[in-house]
Amino acid sequence: MRPTSKMIPLMVAGGVFTIIIGFVLVVLLISWFSNPPFGLGNASAQPVAFPHTVHVVENNIQCEFCHRNVTKGDAATVPAVEQCLFCHKDISGRDGEAQTEIAKVQQYFADEVPIDWERVHRMPDHVRFVHEAHIRLFTSDMTAEDAPRFDINGKQINGPIGIAETCTICHGDVGSMEEVQPKDGQSLKMGTCLDCHRWNNVPTDCTICHK
Amino acid sequence: MKLTRRHFLAWAGLSAVGAVACEGFGIREGELSIQSPVNLPEDLVRGKDNWYTSLCRNCPSSEGILVRVMEGRAKKIQGNPYYPTNQGKSHARCEAGVQALYHPDRISGPMKRGGNRGSGQFDPISWESEAMDTLNRQLNDRGDYAAMITKPMRGHLGMLTSRFAEATGIRHLAFEPVDNNVYRSAVKQVYGQDVLPDFDLENANFILSFGADFLSTWISPTRWNRGYGEFRQGENRSERGTLYHVDSRFSMTAANADKWIPVRPGWEGYLALSIAHVIVSKNLQASGVDVDALLGGETGRDILNAFRPEAVVHLVGITPEVAGGDPVEFIEKLATDFATHGPSIAIAGGSAGAHSNGLFNVMAASVLNWLVGSVGARGGVTLNPSGPWDGVPSSASASSIDEFEQLAEQIRSGEIRMLLLHNVDPVHGLPGSVRFRDAIESAQDLYIISFSPFIDDTTALADLLLPDRVYLEDWGNDIPDPAPGYQVAGFQQPVVNPLWDLDPRSFPDVLLSAAGDLGLGEQLPWSSYEGMLKEAATALFEENRGSIDAGSADEFWTALLRRGGWWDESASGPSAPRPRDGLLREIALNASQPTFAGFGGSGTVHLAPFSHNSIENGELAHLPWLQGAPDPVTTITWQTWVEMNDATAQRFGIRQGDVVRIESSQGSIRAVAFLTPAAPPDVVSVPFGGGRLHGSEWATDRPSTESSNVNDILEPTRVAGAGSLAWAGTRVRISPTGESVVVSKLEGTTRAVEVALSPAEEIIKTIAPGNY
Repeated sequence: MRPTSKMIPLMVAGGVFTIIIGFVLVVLLISWFSNPPFGLGNASAQPVAFPHTVHVVENNIQCEFCHRNVTKGDAATVPAVEQCLFCHKDISGRDGEAQTEIAKVQQYFADEVPIDWERVHRMPDHVRFVHEAHIRLFTSDMTAEDAPRFDINGKQINGPIGIAETCTICHGDVGSMEEVQPKDGQSLKMGTCLDCHRWNNVPTDCTICHK
Repeated sequence: MKLTRRHFLAWAGLSAVGAVACEGFGIREGELSIQSPVNLPEDLVRGKDNWYTSLCRNCPSSEGILVRVMEGRAKKIQGNPYYPTNQGKSHARCEAGVQALYHPDRISGPMKRGGNRGSGQFDPISWESEAMDTLNRQLNDRGDYAAMITKPMRGHLGMLTSRFAEATGIRHLAFEPVDNNVYRSAVKQVYGQDVLPDFDLENANFILSFGADFLSTWISPTRWNRGYGEFRQGENRSERGTLYHVDSRFSMTAANADKWIPVRPGWEGYLALSIAHVIVSKNLQASGVDVDALLGGETGRDILNAFRPEAVVHLVGITPEVAGGDPVEFIEKLATDFATHGPSIAIAGGSAGAHSNGLFNVMAASVLNWLVGSVGARGGVTLNPSGPWDGVPSSASASSIDEFEQLAEQIRSGEIRMLLLHNVDPVHGLPGSVRFRDAIESAQDLYIISFSPFIDDTTALADLLLPDRVYLEDWGNDIPDPAPGYQVAGFQQPVVNPLWDLDPRSFPDVLLSAAGDLGLGEQLPWSSYEGMLKEAATALFEENRGSIDAGSADEFWTALLRRGGWWDESASGPSAPRPRDGLLREIALNASQPTFAGFGGSGTVHLAPFSHNSIENGELAHLPWLQGAPDPVTTITWQTWVEMNDATAQRFGIRQGDVVRIESSQGSIRAVAFLTPAAPPDVVSVPFGGGRLHGSEWATDRPSTESSNVNDILEPTRVAGAGSLAWAGTRVRISPTGESVVVSKLEGTTRAVEVALSPAEEIIKTIAPGNY
């Protein structure tokens, strides 16, 4: 059957509708399949067995010394290999295992090869998460008039806390983890973000978090 | 179902869309990894910055500095607001310290000579396997025939180096291209002090300066610039201070003065005594000053009478043009203002002390401070205490020129067979008449070890390079000289580690290690320089006084590094000082006229060399910021220039930018002519610091027409009584070479726009002069 001239506008409208629905469907499918939630589960073995325990607990190095951008911008960032060499130019490790791992870092630097760390925490692409704003909320001074603050489990936090303690709210106690894994028993979903925002009287408009 | 052509195309299209869509469902490659880049980005502005206190070691005044460090990189240097001498201000030379730290021409690690001496070929060696062994072996074999040349060193490095030299029997010489020995001698004889005094410029009303370019390069310019700002514009002042500057060159201090008095070179002392005569004869001395004691009785008055203004005015060269009226009246008024508009300070040094009669000039000017009651008074000369530690030098002077001549002779004859050098370049900095390069090159059996972090003209001749850390990477301390009137100990700490491709080793640690290997542990009992400094800090802590209140030695050490030093305002210099009886008489009796060796006669002019505002005497010529920093008076960068009066230039047929040959009996150099009305007609001036032959290209890449070493042509005249070189006591012939270059200066490079033109005319005249 040949389409009559009356059918042509209807066909065009149908085509446009199909394209829109198809586009939305594709976006949803991509979002669902390509964006695992905050914790990726157990990450593969890291290229260098970096012990947060030695650096954070034993040597008292602050989180932001290595994750330099965490109080300044969106991504916390991992340090450049050169920054590891600030100390590991001289510190070569107290036992065989440590020496092997530190030698790897020194080798990366000597060979000018970047270290590809296995990602442990990741936000979906359609989410804009700014570390700086979240750290600022929990570390800034409070007055008696300020509304109380709550963590992601609804626990009230009294007064300003340190940067390291703020990090543990979402990441768990990384300093005591020999190997970093997502926070035990805590899966961050959109609901977690929304709850925390509501408790802390922070807007929950879509565009606050979604790109 | 029958597969028609139409169905086939429909399914194929759908499959293709599905494939593309499904491909996008997966996680993109690289999404699950985070990359640590190898190198830190150079332009990183995010991150956490740390500010460390330390000391600047680019110039001898060792100012307190704050260094901004981001991601392990020193980014910026500025003055430490706590530090008592500079109080937050800093010199351009300090700020260029980061360039020394990250300089591409640093010696990367220990090296030994590869080719012939002076060929510039060095082969890397390792500290452990070869460098230290070689040092120890050479110290063992040649220690009895060795000399070590360093800068004059104060603080614990001075003590350590002296002890090392004593323990090993090595002869220790201190070298400064332009030393202050004359001034130090005068301070000793006029004020009876071993350490230099400070000047309370902030509270002075009248400053009379003789040859000392104290706003640019003389002794402690940042400290005095700070005082000078208060002197002119201090908020709590009732009137603006007055500065008169006596000098045969129009220096930065002269440019700032209310009146520049260009006298004949070397006659400053006569003018000073003439002022003293007016003060004494008119009874203008400060109350309480015992003039009779100062003059040693009536005979002193008679001697001083020989310096009455009308007797000296022609000798000193104050013409009616210079005086702006009658010269005698001018001197009388100057003396009266100086005596009655106090507090007044007479400052003398620099070129006034660099003549055969330099010591007399400086003493004659300094004694004026006793006459007007300025010594030890507010707004006057502040006498200083010695340092806080016994046995640690709080003042250090350079060795005399005679000692260096003797050393050159000993090298030539083989009596000295090993030379140790630390951060000095005597081949460039000694006058040509010493022939130091020739002595090294003609020595049969000489081994040279240089600890300098950069190649310079002397290090280029070395056999073994053991590069020191630069000061931003190393520990240290200093006792400022002059101190601000009370005891101060500044501390220097490493703010960064050396870059990964550098392997320098701290000079004091190398000395301590060598001393340990040679069995000298008893004389040098420290295992590290840092440990030695901590011990010194603990000694201060145990005295329980001063600026730091701490509960333990560790707490004291932390506070010390946080503040950049320790000071005790109650530990001040001698109170109620009084002059030696007959001092003024003695000075007047020993008055002498300047003598000039070498060329003379009407075809010659005086040569007045001066320290360069930023590269000083060539020590900092490898730092491009300092080469590019315009001279504050001429605005010239990068070149060696000769300042001369337009009339002088006309007389010798020289135009702006001409390459001029400057010749003395010792040799000749070439420099670019800079014509200025602010130069006495019979004086030409050339900056020190040019003409380096070896090392960084920033110091050496100028052709000899544009960069030359004025030391090469200085006459070997000595300053009587002080042993220094009379570096301003040379007369030269000047002539055009026929070559001409563009003067590399800021001034005058943009067309001047005449006043009273309409804006449109100005624009046309500036951007399109051809159409105007």
